[in-house]
Amino acid sequence: MTETLLLIGILALFGVGLYGMMILHNFIKLVIALQILTKTAVLAFVIAGEMNGQIQLGQSLALTVIVADTMVAVVGLALAVQVRRHFGTLDIRALSTLKR
Amino acid sequence: MAGLLVLLTILAPWGGAASVLLAGDQRHKTQQIAAVLCSVIAAFAALLLLAFTVTTPSVEYAIGGVFGTFTFIPDGLGTFLAAVATTIGSLTVIFSLDYMHGEHQLGRYYALVLLFIGAMCGLVLSGNLLLLFIFWEMTALCSYALISFHNDDPKAVAGGIKALVITQIGGVGLLVGILAAYTQLGTLDINMLIANAGSLPADALTITAFGFLIAAAAKSAQVPFHTWLPGAMEAPTPVSALIHAATMVNAGVYLLARFYPAFAAVPGWTSAVLIVGMISALFGALMALSTHDLKRALAYSTISQLGFMVYAIGAGGIFASQFHLLNHAVFKALLFLGAGAVIHTMGTRDMRRMGGLSRAMPFVRNVFVIGGLALAGVPFFNGFWSKELILEAGLETAVWSFVVMLITAGLTALYTLRMIWLVFFGEAHAAFPAHDAPNFMRIALGMLAIGVLGIWLLAGAFGHLLESTLPYHESVLHVDSTADMISALIAAPATWLTLAVIGVGFALWVLRERLTAFTNSLAPLMRAAAADFGFEWLNRRIVIAAQSAAVNLRKTQTGQLNWNIVGIVTGLVAVLLVLMVGR
Amino acid sequence: MTPTLGLIGLPLITSPLVYFAGRVNRRHAAWSRGLALLSLLIAWVFFAQAAQDFSLNGTLETTIGMIVLRIDGISLLLTAVVLTLATVVTIYSARYMAGEMGEEKYYALLIAMSGAMIGLACAADLFNLWVWFELMTIASFLLVAFYCQRRTALEAGVKYLVQSAIGSVLVLLGIALIFAQTGTLRLDELALAGESLALLGAGALFVIGFGVKIALVPLHTWLPDAHTQAPSGISAMLSGVVIETGLIALLRVVGALAGIAESWGVLLLAFGAINMLFGNLMALRQKQVKRLLAFSSLSHVGYMLLGFGIAFYAGEINGAAGGFFHLLTHGLMKGLAFLAAGALLYGLHLAHERHDPLTVGDLAGAARRYPLAALTLSLAVLGLGGLPPLAGFMSKWQIFAAGFQTQDTLVMLLVIFAALNSVLSLAYYAPLVNRMYRDHPSNVVQQGKPIPFSMQVSLIVLAVMVLAIGLLPSLVNWLTEPAGASLMMVLGR
Repeated sequence: MTETLLLIGILALFGVGLYGMMILHNFIKLVIALQILTKTAVLAFVIAGEMNGQIQLGQSLALTVIVADTMVAVVGLALAVQVRRHFGTLDIRALSTLKR
Repeated sequence: MAGLLVLLTILAPWGGAASVLLAGDQRHKTQQIAAVLCSVIAAFAALLLLAFTVTTPSVEYAIGGVFGTFTFIPDGLGTFLAAVATTIGSLTVIFSLDYMHGEHQLGRYYALVLLFIGAMCGLVLSGNLLLLFIFWEMTALCSYALISFHNDDPKAVAGGIKALVITQIGGVGLLVGILAAYTQLGTLDINMLIANAGSLPADALTITAFGFLIAAAAKSAQVPFHTWLPGAMEAPTPVSALIHAATMVNAGVYLLARFYPAFAAVPGWTSAVLIVGMISALFGALMALSTHDLKRALAYSTISQLGFMVYAIGAGGIFASQFHLLNHAVFKALLFLGAGAVIHTMGTRDMRRMGGLSRAMPFVRNVFVIGGLALAGVPFFNGFWSKELILEAGLETAVWSFVVMLITAGLTALYTLRMIWLVFFGEAHAAFPAHDAPNFMRIALGMLAIGVLGIWLLAGAFGHLLESTLPYHESVLHVDSTADMISALIAAPATWLTLAVIGVGFALWVLRERLTAFTNSLAPLMRAAAADFGFEWLNRRIVIAAQSAAVNLRKTQTGQLNWNIVGIVTGLVAVLLVLMVGR
Repeated sequence: MTPTLGLIGLPLITSPLVYFAGRVNRRHAAWSRGLALLSLLIAWVFFAQAAQDFSLNGTLETTIGMIVLRIDGISLLLTAVVLTLATVVTIYSARYMAGEMGEEKYYALLIAMSGAMIGLACAADLFNLWVWFELMTIASFLLVAFYCQRRTALEAGVKYLVQSAIGSVLVLLGIALIFAQTGTLRLDELALAGESLALLGAGALFVIGFGVKIALVPLHTWLPDAHTQAPSGISAMLSGVVIETGLIALLRVVGALAGIAESWGVLLLAFGAINMLFGNLMALRQKQVKRLLAFSSLSHVGYMLLGFGIAFYAGEINGAAGGFFHLLTHGLMKGLAFLAAGALLYGLHLAHERHDPLTVGDLAGAARRYPLAALTLSLAVLGLGGLPPLAGFMSKWQIFAAGFQTQDTLVMLLVIFAALNSVLSLAYYAPLVNRMYRDHPSNVVQQGKPIPFSMQVSLIVLAVMVLAIGLLPSLVNWLTEPAGASLMMVLGR
C-alpha cells in the first residue's frame, strides 16, 4: 500500500517537474523544477532498495545521485549568475539568439 | 610485367598529382614538366600494356571482410580504355600548357587532371566490384572539382555540383547493384559475377542489372540523367575534352559493355538499354541543332554519340560500341580542343558572334573540319566505320529503332555542318584579334587529326585484342580483320542508305534558305529541344523542393529552451507508444 | 597496476594536478599543457598494453571493491577514439587557447572528460555507467560554457545543461526501475532477466535519456548551439566522441535488455532514418560553418544507428562492426573538420580578438592563404559526404553491405535511403569546398593572420589517418571487428 502511494508520489513529482520545465521562464525556477525532477530519481532508488530487500544499496545509490545532482545544480546556478550579469535578466526567453 | 605496367598506369598520374601539389604554385615550370612527364609515362605504360593483356588478376591485395580482395585485371577491354584515357589525357595536358597559361592555382588544375586520368585507369582495370565503385566515385569527384575549377563563377560551381550530385545518384544505383550481387555471390570478383550471373536469383540479378544501367546512364549522360553534361561546359575546355573523350563518360559505356554477358538474359534489360541509347541519340542531336553555344553543341553531340554506343550495346554490338567509343574519343577530343583554340582567341562561346574564322585560323579550321566529318559519319574518316557497324547491329535487332537512328545520323550531319559553317565560314560578326593556335596546341591537335584519319585501320587488331582476352564475351564479339569489315560494309545496302541520309542532312543545311516553310514547321520542336525537353525544369523543381523543405524545417530550431524540453517529452511519449505497440 | 586502472585512473589523477600546475604560476600555463599531454601519452602506453592483453586473453576484468571494470572490444575502440582526439586536441589547443582566461581549467576538464569517457567504456554495471556518464557530462558543461563572458556561449551552456540534466534523470529512473524489478545492476546478469513491462519502460527511459546526449531527433536541439559555441577543440571532442559515448552507453544497456523486446532494432533504425534526413535538411541552407558541421553530426549519428539497428534487428555482425567503424571514422573526420574550421576561425577572427562566427562566406578564397587548412577541411567534409578514397566511404560501405546481407526488404530500402542521403549531404559539403578554392579572397581572408604550426600538425595527423583508412580499411580491423563481436555477444547472437 505504502509502496503504491509512493509510486504515485514519484509519478506526480515527475509530472510536476517536467511540466514545470516546459512552462517556466525564469532560469532559477527552471533549476528548481529540475531539482524536483531529480528528487524523483532519489526517491525511486530508496523505494527500489526497499522493494527488493537491498535497502542499503538503494540508499547508497540515492546518496550518490544527490551528490552528482548537487554538482549539476551548482553549475546551473553559477551559469545563472553569469546569465544575470550578461543578459540583465533571468528570463530564458531572452536566451534565444541561437536558432535556425 | 603486366602487374608493373598496371601499377605504373595508375600510379604515375597520381604520383604526378602529388608532386605537382608539393611543388606549389610558385614553381610553374616544375609543375608543368611533372604533369606532362607523368601523363606521358602513363600513356606509354598503358600502350605497352596492350601487348601484355591477360585474363587473370595481375595485381592482388587482400583486404578481407566485406571489402574482398582488391585486384586489377588488364584484359583487352580495360587496357584499351586505359590506353585511350592516358593517351588523350596526356594530349590534353600538353594542350593545357598553352591554354591554361597564366591562370591561378594551376597546381590544383594539373593535380586534379592527373588524378582523374589515374582514377579512370583504375576504374577500367579493376577486377573487384568495390574497387570499381571506389574509382567510379573518384572520377565523379575529380570531374566535379575540375568542372567548377573557376570557383568564382557561380555557373561553374553550379555545374560542378550538378555533375557531382547526378552522377552520385547514378552511383547509388551502382552501389545497390553491387550490394545485391555481393550478398548473393559472397564475392566481389567481377569475373565471378559475370560467370555466375545465371545462378543468381532472378530478382537480385534484375536489381543488379538495372542498378548498373542507372549508373551507366548517369555517368554517360544518357536521358534522363543527361542534364549535367551541358552544365559541365563551364569547365576549362581541355577538361571538357578530357571528360568527353578520355575519362568520365566512357565509364558508363564501359560498364554496360563489361557486364553485358551477365545481364543480357535479364528480361527487358537489353530493350531498356536500346531505348535509352536511342532516345539519347535523338534528343542529343536535336538539342545540338537548337543551341548557339559552341561548347554546348559539342556537349549535346556527345550525348547523342554516347547514345549510339549505348544503343549498340542494347543491340548486342559490343565490338561496334567499343570501336565507336575509340573513334569518338579521338574525334571528340579533336573537336573540343579545336573549339578550345577558337574560344581561346575569340573569348566567347556564342557561335552567332563567330564566323569567318577560316582565314585567320587555317590550321584550326583544317583539323576541326576533319573532326567534324568524322562526327558526321562521312566515309573514310574513323567515325564512319563504327557508326555503320552500329546501325548494322541495330538493323539486325529491331528495324523500327534502326529508322530512328537513321534519322539521327541525318541530324548529326546537319548540326555538324551548321556548327562548322557558323564558326569558320559565313560572315564575320565581330572584330577579333584571331591568331592561329600556338605550338603546344598544334602538337595535340595534329596528333589527334592523324588519329581521326588513320585509327580505323586498326579495327581488326582491336577486335582480335578484345576477342582473345574476354572469355565471357565470346558469343558477342566476332571480328575478322579490317579488310573484311570494309568489304562487308560496302556490300551492305544499309551503308548506302545511311550515306544517302547523311547527304540529305548536309543538303538541308545548304538549302536552308529555300526551306523556310519546312524549318518553321519544326520551330516548336526546336523550342522544346532548346528547353532540354523539360528535364532541366524537372531538375530545378527537385532542387527547389529540397531547399524549401530545408528552409521550412529550420523553423523547428526555435532556440527557446521550453520548446526544446517539449521536444524531449514528445520523444519520450513516442518511444513509449512504439514499444507498447511493438509488444 | 593493470592497464585498465591506468587508463581510467591516470587522467582522473592528473586532472587536478594539471589545474594546480596552471594555478601555481599564472605565467606558466605551459605547465598544464605539458602535463596534460604527458598524461595522455602515458595513457597511450597503457592502451597499447591493454590492447595486447586483450588480443591474447580476450576480455579483461579488474575489480575494485564492488566495482567491476571490464575491457572488451567496445571499450578498446572507444578508448582509442577518445585518446586520439584528446591528444590531437591538446596539441591543437596549445596555441588556440593560449592566453584565454582559465586556460588551466580547460586542460584539466579536457583530461577529466577523457578519463570519464574511458571509464564509461569499461563500466560493467548500470549505476557505474551512469556515474561516468554524469562525470563526463558535468565536465562538458563547463567546457561548452568555457567562454563564460560571452552571451552566446552562456546561452548554449544553459540549454545544454538543462537538457542533459533531464536526460540524466530519465536514465536514473530507468536504472531505478531495473533495480526494483531485478535487484541487480550488473549488465551481464540483466541479460538473463525475463520479459516485463517495467523493463520495457526502463528501456524507453534509456533510449530517451541517453538519446538527449546522442542527439536523436527531436531531442537534438541543444547540439547545434553547444557545438558551435564551445572552443573548436571542444567542438571536435563533443561531435567526434562525446555524443558517440552516449551511443555506446545506450548500446550497452539496451544490448543487455535485448531479450526483453523485439522492437529495439526497429526503434534504432527508425531514429537512424529520421536523424539522417533531418540532419541533412537542417544543414542544407546553413550559413555558419560550425553549425553546418554540427547538424551534419545528426545525420552521421543516423548512419551509426543504421549499423547498430541492423545488428539488433537481424543479428548481422557486419552491422555492428560497420557501426563501430563509422563511429571511428566519423570521430576522425568530424574532429578534423571542426579543428580545420577552428583553425580558419582562429586565423580569420580570433587572432583579431573578434568573436564573430565563421560563415561560409568568410571562407571564400581561403585556399590560397591557408592551403593546408583548406585542404584538410575539404578532405574532412568530402569524407563525411562518403566519397572514396576517404575513410567515411569505407565505413558506410560496411554498414550498407550488412544491410543487404540481412536480405530484409525494409532494411535494404533503408540502405538505399541512406545512400541517397549521402548524395544530399554533398549538396552542402561541396559548395563549402568550392567556396574555399575561389580565386578572389574575401575581405576577412585578406586580413587573416597565419595559422600556428602546432595547429597545422594536428590537422595533418588527422588528415593522414582519414586518407590512410580510406585507402586501406583493413588498418583498423583489429578495433572494429572485436567491437562488433563484443556487441553481438551481448546480444546473445
